[in-house]
Amino acid sequence: MATQATPKIPLVRAGRDLRVDMFRGLALWMIFVNHTPGNIVGDFTLRKVSLSDATEIFVLLAGYAAGLSYGRMLEREGWLRTGTRIVERIFTLYVAHIFLFVVFTAQVGFSAAALDQAAYFDELALDPFTQEPYRALLEALLLRYQPAFLDVLPLYIVVLALFALAVPLIRRLPLLIGASVLMYVLARGVGIAPPSWTGDAWFFNPFAWQLLFAIGIWLGRADTATLSRWFGWNPWVAAALMALLLGNAFGMNLSRAGMLFGITAPEWLAGWYATIDKSGLHPARLASVLIMVWLAAHWVKPQAAWLNGYVASLFALLGQQGLPVFCAGIFLSFLGRVTIEVSEGWHAQLLVNLGGLLALVGIAALVAWHEGGTRRKPDALPAANKVAKLS
Amino acid sequence: MMVRWLIAAILSLALPGLPAAASPRAADCPVPDSAMASGPLPGTATALFQGDIRILLIGSATTSSGGASARDRAWPERLAHILAGRRAETHVEIRREGLRGSTATDHARLLDDVVPAFRPNLVIWQLGTVEAVRSLSAEEMADTVQTAAARLRETRAERTDLILMDPQFSRFLRANADVETYREKLSQAAYASGAALFSRWVVMKHWVETGGIDLERAPPAQRAATADRLNECLARALADFMVGGTR
Repeated sequence: MATQATPKIPLVRAGRDLRVDMFRGLALWMIFVNHTPGNIVGDFTLRKVSLSDATEIFVLLAGYAAGLSYGRMLEREGWLRTGTRIVERIFTLYVAHIFLFVVFTAQVGFSAAALDQAAYFDELALDPFTQEPYRALLEALLLRYQPAFLDVLPLYIVVLALFALAVPLIRRLPLLIGASVLMYVLARGVGIAPPSWTGDAWFFNPFAWQLLFAIGIWLGRADTATLSRWFGWNPWVAAALMALLLGNAFGMNLSRAGMLFGITAPEWLAGWYATIDKSGLHPARLASVLIMVWLAAHWVKPQAAWLNGYVASLFALLGQQGLPVFCAGIFLSFLGRVTIEVSEGWHAQLLVNLGGLLALVGIAALVAWHEGGTRRKPDALPAANKVAKLS
Repeated sequence: MMVRWLIAAILSLALPGLPAAASPRAADCPVPDSAMASGPLPGTATALFQGDIRILLIGSATTSSGGASARDRAWPERLAHILAGRRAETHVEIRREGLRGSTATDHARLLDDVVPAFRPNLVIWQLGTVEAVRSLSAEEMADTVQTAAARLRETRAERTDLILMDPQFSRFLRANADVETYREKLSQAAYASGAALFSRWVVMKHWVETGGIDLERAPPAQRAATADRLNECLARALADFMVGGTR
């Protein structure tokens, strides 16, 4: 067992698997960066070198956290109370989504006025409010109208709703995973997806993406001995998987650029990459995130001293306050987009990235401080060190 | 060529503030060499050599207007003019098939209808904006393009070339739609089907960043003139791109 060093930032709750919190925080920060197109830091995020990106990590670790906390509640208070709490959470998310939607609409209006887009987009319904305002509002409330960059929360809402129904299965993990895989296969195979107003279906198909959430639950709840027996360290496997990740990073960038280092992209390779969809969580994207999780779980030791250092603690703080930080990140990305629209100089980049990160940390710190006040003794998380023992 | 491209790529990575090595061909609105790498265009080469070329433009709104002040200032007309002036007695026939808000699926159907009768030497297919704005499936778009390109190759072989053209660069579009995803799938579809990819996005972004042509920030009084200049420069870049593919 690790000697309990305390994190450098006192607001970070100790006694949990800080690796999970840190990676969750990193994913949240990357989601903010990737939601501000034109941000040069975006060129250094996961999606430039890997098939899966921060969204996959966010959903997986959301499942991990939900499995732990609601699992405990289920044992203490039963299905009805636990389900009610999840529904309460869903309602909060829904209200947050509608709030962000209103902010988005205001931002589009601002941008349209600030930049002359008439010459480009006179015919495009980028802003359905000008054409069918009442309908657009109704469709937004029904979650059938999801503007770009506002599609993760609706996904999360439906995944949590599925979880509210399936929460008793936490005690029967093989059944949970089996049902989840079945739903994933059906969603991809038959093409079951919630409908959208502007296109055919939601950008993120929750019936496919729920699989990652379920895998997260399983990683959090499964017996550590079983996990290490099935997924223990093997240097040959690790080397092969690393080669696979590196090969993919090259192949993917080759398929995007057409030619890299004098090598021309073969037609079959570009054709294969063209089929990999994010909407339905393509198996290659799923494999990519699971490989990275396996490597990270073995490489980053839970006792590693640097996990308590300033940088890691900073991201752990973000990760521990996942929901407020996520919503704040989406809100801040609106401001970031407007800033980058107005000026693309280095000072705008610095303002967006430094200001964005500071604001996220500030919000996380505030929530952590407030929680610390209301809950005198932080929940001890008995299961939190489970994955820690994995390596 | 490859070495030059590599040097340009390395330079543009190392010195992000400086414009990438620019093509000397279009003096007024230089274009980064990396955006001008067209594949072989045998149909275009033969047609230009024989002095008679038929070009089919297919796509959404900018295919028809391009925002220019007058129809003869729009890039398709300018392109025809430039090509006709390259050698004496080149006859250029351009046919536009564009519909506002139309998608790749609509375009593929149009291609099926128009190509057999018009027998173009070159198809310039502009797409991606509508898909991005409406959050349509990027993979389906790529699939539609690949299927249409395969059918074109099957029926017309080397007599008809295909150039895919991605969305125009715009800060507004970049901020409000996930353009990168669609540009990525579009280039993969191009490389998968042996079509050439003319990236308006890269070219226009270069002009915006080097202070050349910036339609979104043009003062109202200069907007029409800027739009005309943009259309002229696009036509020149496209003509260079086509000629590059015939060598």
